[in-house]
Amino acid sequence: MVAAAQHPNIEILTYSEVEAVDGFVGNFQVTIRKKARLLDESKCTGCGLCEEKCPGRATSEFEEGLAKRKSIYKPFPQAVPNLPVLDKNSCRLFTKGKCGVCKKICPTGAIDYEQQDEIITENFGAIVMATGYDLFEWQEVYGEYGYGKYPDVITGLQFERMNNAAGFTGGKIIRPSDGKEPKTVVFIKCVGSRDEAKGKAYCSRTCCMYTAKHAHQVIEKIPDSQAIVFYMDIRTPGKAYEEFAQRSIEEGAVYVRGRVSRVYQHGDKLIVKGEDTLLGKPVEVEADLVVLATAMVPSRDAKAIAKVVGIGTDQDGFFQEAHPKLRPVETHTAGVYIAGACQGPKDIPDTVAQASAAAVKVCSLFSKTEMATDPMVADVNLAICSGCGMCVPVCPYKAIELVPKAERVNGKQIERLVAQVNSGLCQGCGACNAACRAGAINVKGYTDDQILAEVDAICL
Amino acid sequence: MSLEAKVESTWEPKIVAFCCNWCAYAGADLAGLNRLQYPVNVRMIRVPCSGRINPQFVIRAFQRGADAVLVSG
Amino acid sequence: MKRVGVFVCHCGTNIAKTVDVEQVAKVAGDLPNVVFSTDYTYMCSEPGQDLLKKATAEHNLDRCVVACCTPRLHEPTFRKAFESAGGNPYLLEIANIREQCAWVHNDREKATAKAHDLVRGAVAKVRRNFPLSTSTIPITSKALVIGAGIAGMQAAIDIADAGYKVVLLDREPTIGGKMVQLDKTFPTLDCSA
Repeated sequence: MVAAAQHPNIEILTYSEVEAVDGFVGNFQVTIRKKARLLDESKCTGCGLCEEKCPGRATSEFEEGLAKRKSIYKPFPQAVPNLPVLDKNSCRLFTKGKCGVCKKICPTGAIDYEQQDEIITENFGAIVMATGYDLFEWQEVYGEYGYGKYPDVITGLQFERMNNAAGFTGGKIIRPSDGKEPKTVVFIKCVGSRDEAKGKAYCSRTCCMYTAKHAHQVIEKIPDSQAIVFYMDIRTPGKAYEEFAQRSIEEGAVYVRGRVSRVYQHGDKLIVKGEDTLLGKPVEVEADLVVLATAMVPSRDAKAIAKVVGIGTDQDGFFQEAHPKLRPVETHTAGVYIAGACQGPKDIPDTVAQASAAAVKVCSLFSKTEMATDPMVADVNLAICSGCGMCVPVCPYKAIELVPKAERVNGKQIERLVAQVNSGLCQGCGACNAACRAGAINVKGYTDDQILAEVDAICL
Repeated sequence: MSLEAKVESTWEPKIVAFCCNWCAYAGADLAGLNRLQYPVNVRMIRVPCSGRINPQFVIRAFQRGADAVLVSG
Repeated sequence: MKRVGVFVCHCGTNIAKTVDVEQVAKVAGDLPNVVFSTDYTYMCSEPGQDLLKKATAEHNLDRCVVACCTPRLHEPTFRKAFESAGGNPYLLEIANIREQCAWVHNDREKATAKAHDLVRGAVAKVRRNFPLSTSTIPITSKALVIGAGIAGMQAAIDIADAGYKVVLLDREPTIGGKMVQLDKTFPTLDCSA
């Protein structure tokens, strides 16, 4: 993270979203909305005084809803850039009209309640999509695990936050309901993944490994604890992965092959009912904490950003690669590459490998100062073009405009309008051809004459 | 079997398919990769986009004896 | 006078198992303007490409049809080979007799008939093709990385290390993505940030 932050060639734009992408490979014009932090970034020193004194409270997204944060806040102490952001939705000044503590206390006068979003337009030669993942919303469909009404049924990511030394518990594993240390922790794998009835058909790929890690951490951190893992299969196809999972089992993690049919509260315990399909017997566990390995799904706005950038998504909403084997980091849109979990569920080693692969594709594009354009673009026969302009609105790439053309007719100098194609913008789709009544526009390499010849020959 | 019925049972339609290079043509390639078997009657013509399919292509295919035309993209 | 060469690929047994490639090459030889036609085990291999280049020179070919796998795979390969033999790369057409013929049909006789049709279509088109040439456009050597999690940061660092400018963008107030939420990560149990 620090390497990216300090690199002289990297400019970081956080709290920003891409609004529009125009142009084509080598020459994209991107419109970016830099959302208002309500803060003058040039004045803020990141001292944190505002956050300390802020009386507003909201649920912390960074702590996965398990803790509170202030209304003016840094998501976590090591945030990059080292700047707070003011959340209008929970700020007392914006919700109740009375406060202004942060502005009063700020030693550099950096707080600016009037600040507006900023729109930036910049040119880029290539775009790398790395929008990552979100977790499957299990609360919506998994009634057997309590629809999210039991506070001690949590996701793996919530478990990570408790485990993290920099997290809200300082690395102590607790029960969210009463703060006590759990002795029996049950892990349920494949929640939302490999479950077409309730979630996704695909395997989420990372859960087997992080669950093995979580089980190891329970055993390591909590004396006399028990980690019980309900699984369908243990999938560990990676270097040193199987050994890692076996180590958790040797340390004492109990793996039970079978699905959990029900989880319910009984006193301060959670009763987990399932089946051990290897023994063919029902199993019942009194658990203190239940951790669900929920599926990775595309980031919540993935479909929208795909549309803005102009790339495709697959049936699950992940970005579509150009070829599953041979072009895994390219998309069907030249100059747009994909890396990480936005393409499909992925662990860190695979993500890093794919990101470096995408970087190489960008670098090989940038290694030339000029690039060859595809000559298979629309071409206007000016002698026939009547300048009716029917082709202009049908062009999805805004590549056609009407321009005046001077010529001599019957000894007189006249000027008439004709269609002109910008070959840089034209993608050769040919929609203009079907719209042209005069038959004046053709796509080079796919002319009417050429396609009709093929039709004739094939129909023989 | 009557002649008519015999003709009917052996008759096979001739189908011309216009396929967009980016989706339908790629889909037909994918069918090949997965070895999905389908009737042999269809002949694909690759076009750069379904927008490239001028109605006259469809008419011409019928004129030249195609029994069905598939426009896919 | 247009001079078309037809090259039918066996793709090992991928095509040859279902399509009578020799027959396809033989029949193609009688199509208008076709002055040379042959079949070969692997057209995309080096000897296969050499065959195309040699035939182009020997028979003075100005147009080519390669009947092989999908053009989405090897069209650039054959265009390049044809260009290096002095041909215009856009006077080359592919007849897709693997993905859209040999792999999806079982009946050898009917699949061969379909391959004939596809080759005939490609020859008809290539006869009408005219030479095209590419032009060049400048490239802005600056990359935009959308999403600053582990994938975005890694890609940005690699591109930046190569000496190009990068804008690393994230909708959240900080970079790091989901990765900074994680504790020690498998399989090495080192810290993630």
